Amino acid sequence: MVRAAPFPLRIAGIVFVVLTGLLLLAPLIVVVGVSVSENQFIAFPPKGFSLRWYQEVLSSSTYLAAGLVSLQIGLLVTVSATLIGGAAAIAIHRRQLPASELIATVFLSPLVLPTIIYAIGMLMFWSAVFGSVSMMTLWISHTVITLPYVVRTTLAVLAESDPFLEEAARTMGAGRLRCLWFVVVPQCLPGLAAGAFFAFNISFDEAVLSLFLRKPGLTTLPVQVYGQLEFSPDPSVAAVSSIMIALTILLMIVIDRMLGLGKFASP
Amino acid sequence: MSDRTENLFLALPGLLLLALAFLLPIGQMLVLSVEGEDGPTLEHFSRFLLDPFYLGILWRTVRLSLVITAICALIGFPLAYIMARASPRTRLWLTIMVILPLMTSVVIRTFGWMVVLTRSGLIPTLLRDMGLAERNFALMQTETAIVIGMVQVLLPFMALSILGVLTRIDERLEEAARTMGCSFLQTVRVVILPLSLPGIVAGSLLCFTLSASSFVTPSLLGGARIQVLAASIYKSVTQVLDWPFAAAQAVILFAGILLVLAPYIRLTRQDRG
Repeated sequence: MVRAAPFPLRIAGIVFVVLTGLLLLAPLIVVVGVSVSENQFIAFPPKGFSLRWYQEVLSSSTYLAAGLVSLQIGLLVTVSATLIGGAAAIAIHRRQLPASELIATVFLSPLVLPTIIYAIGMLMFWSAVFGSVSMMTLWISHTVITLPYVVRTTLAVLAESDPFLEEAARTMGAGRLRCLWFVVVPQCLPGLAAGAFFAFNISFDEAVLSLFLRKPGLTTLPVQVYGQLEFSPDPSVAAVSSIMIALTILLMIVIDRMLGLGKFASP
Repeated sequence: MSDRTENLFLALPGLLLLALAFLLPIGQMLVLSVEGEDGPTLEHFSRFLLDPFYLGILWRTVRLSLVITAICALIGFPLAYIMARASPRTRLWLTIMVILPLMTSVVIRTFGWMVVLTRSGLIPTLLRDMGLAERNFALMQTETAIVIGMVQVLLPFMALSILGVLTRIDERLEEAARTMGCSFLQTVRVVILPLSLPGIVAGSLLCFTLSASSFVTPSLLGGARIQVLAASIYKSVTQVLDWPFAAAQAVILFAGILLVLAPYIRLTRQDRG
């Protein structure tokens, strides 16, 4: 694995990687294992094989309702975060704004602030100004926390773009909007797409904001799972979780095609 | 329209959103934390900071976060080094191994640990069968469970932070050290470790911040008895409905994190400029 290392250390390295892989992947393997169990109770290793828990989930109105809420918010957040974050990234990249360093910092600040602090601030603010929380609250707050990801992926792509293309388009007589739409946005596209998928993934999996900003009828899938875990987990929770894991794998493959997972290595 | 106006228009929706839905709520929370029946007060803070029960929660939060961060660094550094020096194919698989858990919901990952750590679960049973644990040995609702769960949650952040720095280190430095007679381990210790220190520091700060503020994993694995600060905040918000007190606790958490981050931010500023 590491060429320069002496033989015993290479063996130790392989053992280490296998153990670490086990640590990282164990919870996911266990959840998928439990979901296909025939047992009435949660048990790992699973006994037998059955898909009855998936059937149960797909005919459960609670899970379907929560899934629908998560999906709606996820899609809304994807659109709003991509549009707002993408536009901001283009402006930040040009470095012509007044106090552009400060603005860039502000756009990335939701990454640094722990979500729980933002969640409680948002809950208090919304209750004081608008009263009861709604889908709108979740949409807005999820957009805020996903914005930095879109800004970052778009900036990463723009950093490798050719600044003269824009200049050339302008010299050839393209107006501002035409230039933006036909020259700048196409260059951003891989970054925007990756950011969009990140935004969806984060919103869909997010539990802390959704726990603080919940009310009856506004339960997202992770909150529903959390609630089940606190009280009476049965293998159907594992089936829901496995469906969410499958969705994550799908998103990961798409992001890899768009931007390459290798980009993760340079945060 | 000038260039400047165009850029301002592009950034405006985001700036408005962040000002109204991010900075304003946090300001509101700061205000609420000192709100009393008759004017501003620090009573919510003193209630927390003078009560041994809450100080215990604070100390547990700090202690667990330190342990979790240290374990993440110990596993994360070799993992990142192997990722950086592996063949492209192996590296891709290792990247998937690190990122797949990262992108999975924390609730789901914690659920997985609940299944294997519970009294009749895989790990306690194995330990008992091997004679390493007593009959009534339990892992759920212990601090150990929280540490195991949190390390799994945060290890990807640490590994990726260190990897980012490692990939920028010139491989020829290692070759030079080896040619000059260093053994492999000496090379790692004398050349690689000092050079990757910025990544280790950044990753540790990230891990510490995230674990000090994490809520889902400690609540589910630690149970109601072993509370951390974030769980206490959640309790004040949803069960006791004492929002000013919750706000004060959030401010204490925030201040603690800023205290840890501030020296680092100052350091990186100097580096850049």
